[in-house]
Amino acid sequence: MIDIQNVTVQFGGLKAIDSLSVQLTDPVCGLIGPNGAGKTTLVNVLSGFARVRQGCVLIDGESLLEKSPVQRVRWGLRRSFQTEQVVEDLTVWDNVLALLEQVEPPRRQQAEKVGWVLEYTGLEAVANALGAHINLFQRRKLELAKALVGAPRVLLLDEPGAGINEQEAAELRTLILGVHTLCGAQVLLIDHDVELIKSTCSQTLVLDFGRLLAVGPTLDVLNAPQVRSAYLGT
Amino acid sequence: MTELPPLKADLALRLRSVRRLRLRSLWQMLLVLFALALLLPLCANGYWIKTLVSAAAIATAVSGSALLYGQLGLVSLCQYALVGVGGWTALRLSHGLHWPFELCVLAAGIAASATGMIAGLPALRMKGLYLALVTLMMAGGYQVLISAMGFPDGGEGWLGRAQGTDRVLMARPALAESDGGYLTYAMLWLAAILGLVEWHKRSKPGRAWALIRRGEAAANAAGVDVLRYQTWAFGLAGFCAGVGGAILAGGVGQLDGRAFGASESVMLFALSVVGGVYHWLGVLLAGLLLRAVPALLTDYGVNGYLATMFFGASLVHALTTAQRGIAGQWLDGIAALSHRLRGSRVTPGVRHD
Amino acid sequence: MLELLPFLISGLGVGSVYALSGVGLVVLYRASGVLNFAFGALGALGAYVAWTVLDAGLPMWAAWLASVATAMGLSLLYGWFIAPLLAERDSTIRSIGTLGLALVLMGFTEWYWGSSPRRLILPTDAIGIDLADVRLTGTRIISLVVALAMMAAIALLLARTRIGLKMRALANDRGLSAVLGVYVLRVDTVAWLLSGAFAGVSGLLLANIVRLQATLLTFLVIPAFAAAILGRLHSLPATVVAGLVIGVLEATAILLPGFAPFRTAVPFLLALLAIILFPNTQRLA
Repeated sequence: MIDIQNVTVQFGGLKAIDSLSVQLTDPVCGLIGPNGAGKTTLVNVLSGFARVRQGCVLIDGESLLEKSPVQRVRWGLRRSFQTEQVVEDLTVWDNVLALLEQVEPPRRQQAEKVGWVLEYTGLEAVANALGAHINLFQRRKLELAKALVGAPRVLLLDEPGAGINEQEAAELRTLILGVHTLCGAQVLLIDHDVELIKSTCSQTLVLDFGRLLAVGPTLDVLNAPQVRSAYLGT
Repeated sequence: MTELPPLKADLALRLRSVRRLRLRSLWQMLLVLFALALLLPLCANGYWIKTLVSAAAIATAVSGSALLYGQLGLVSLCQYALVGVGGWTALRLSHGLHWPFELCVLAAGIAASATGMIAGLPALRMKGLYLALVTLMMAGGYQVLISAMGFPDGGEGWLGRAQGTDRVLMARPALAESDGGYLTYAMLWLAAILGLVEWHKRSKPGRAWALIRRGEAAANAAGVDVLRYQTWAFGLAGFCAGVGGAILAGGVGQLDGRAFGASESVMLFALSVVGGVYHWLGVLLAGLLLRAVPALLTDYGVNGYLATMFFGASLVHALTTAQRGIAGQWLDGIAALSHRLRGSRVTPGVRHD
Repeated sequence: MLELLPFLISGLGVGSVYALSGVGLVVLYRASGVLNFAFGALGALGAYVAWTVLDAGLPMWAAWLASVATAMGLSLLYGWFIAPLLAERDSTIRSIGTLGLALVLMGFTEWYWGSSPRRLILPTDAIGIDLADVRLTGTRIISLVVALAMMAAIALLLARTRIGLKMRALANDRGLSAVLGVYVLRVDTVAWLLSGAFAGVSGLLLANIVRLQATLLTFLVIPAFAAAILGRLHSLPATVVAGLVIGVLEATAILLPGFAPFRTAVPFLLALLAIILFPNTQRLA
């Protein structure tokens, strides 16, 4: 469970996040909102790239904000970015291994762990291909694989489906839905694709101008009048 | 987490073949270097043996410079100053404490490594241009320091300077007293250093460096402590320089404080880039360019400063069009040729260099 | 205190050239993001050209003209033909490109004129005034005046003229400026020309004050870098003050017991101190 308690993030005079308090309990939660609503800022707060003016964040009871970004990754927080961060001159295998060896000391079964996430994401066929030589969907899946390796606890996926087609989106949906069963991690999914949110997230948080606009079961939230007016301006 | 299933047979097989290819490229490098170590002394005359010893020592230093730029995009303009630090340490320990040569080399490496890390630490928090400037300042400062101090040559006290006929050449290792033997010895040290660097590139530090290269965001999101890995790279580069300095001292016997100006460090960096920073062949080429080409020009009565001009133009060329340096172009050429000869299709993306 | 005076004055002399060089470096950096490592080499080549002109018996103004024109011309050629090839890369690589230029110029100078040092004697060296045991030669007076004039002119240019505004815009955001209609290449050209002019003047003055030798003059750019760093690669007044302070400290350091052989390290020490005390990652990372 992600427990955000009265978090405010301020850049100069602008409150990017304003006194946000919310508890995200479901295995896959959505985070939506118009552009500039503060979604990426919230993810930055969670991953350690943005500092809070006030407030605290607890994940499964443990305080997050005292940890440095690197400590959070080791603790089990994983994040993917809107523009994928695949290392072009490492192989797919090495891309995943690079993260695994940063978050845990070398143990037996290291190769098995990498193989396992690559198999899950359907990348074992290109395991030895360089990052530069795989296509966009494979890169997105590689980002997911990196997030899944080594006992993660929370996955922050920032628009993981940008730029992929219908068929690929369906596959991505299946992968995201299977995360909790696979390793017990909670997923927070940011996306503009309402279909993706509807089909994967059971709980959704809506931000607008840095404030909590609505939170709850996804369909209820999407149908809520204040959410519709925020998006459609009516 | 319970026991994971073993890797699928097919995947395991492919991983093993990649591992074998990578190991093979490492053996190829070591084989070439060992062969050179044994054959060069037989092919070259006295003057050229001395030149090649210097080239090998410089190449050892270049490996550090190439590592910083190739793996992390860090421009260090003080590598030759660190060569001087290594040379000074080796000379002082050899003359003063009569340590065995190998220990002097290791101590030189450690001294240069520590100097590089300490002096570079403030600048490592900032990258790019600031690092280039700070290292240039350090090179300038070292130039002043060493011109005033000079290198130890058998005397007493901190500086170890001796007078006139009391000046001594550095003692060489017992098995490498002759110039030819010392060339082999220098090449073996070069092989060891290049092997050390390769090992780094292929294991955890190399992968962390690759993440840092991709970007700060990628590295942080992967849990990489950027400062630690940059410092590590800097320390390793310093070690390469220090070892090079010790080998240089042993080769020439004495080092001249006036020959360690900032311009030497700048040239060393420039030619690292020209040779090619991504491959060990580039390191060898840089060493040859820095020492063998001037010697060659002298042989033919050509003014050495024309070489400087050529090197400057080569640097611009390397930066604009040939980013993998001469080594990159040669390797590409060889790969293209061998594929045409074999008539085989290129397997995309299998990394085995 | 009085024994400090000659060193103070001599320090101000060199310091004003460091300040001038620093300003030349910062102006180009602000407009194009390139830190010109060839600044010293441009000046060195210009100084040798001046020497040749004077040696041929031509008047001093011809020497000045030739020197500055050479530096400006070469700077412009680099800015027109080579710099655009690196335009897409980051600031560090664009600056390292000028390192290549420095080597080419330095090599050419040493090949053509030889590497033995010589004196660049200007006719104005002969005249001067005496100020408390120190002789202020005509050249020193001119150099101080020229330095101050150039620095004031560039400040005015950046602050008051249209081209200066464009240069500041470019420094702020190159891509955005291009979209807004600032002719990036035209402004770049002006920046390279101005920087070349500064290089030519500084080279000539340094050759006169210190000596005419290519490697020396090329790497006397390092104290200029130190001044630029102390000015955070941004503030012209700070760079000027820094240059003067560096010159004075370097000259007066000779009075510190035992420090004399190390006094040329003063600029480096000051620069390192500045970097440690005022880390400013935004500008250069």
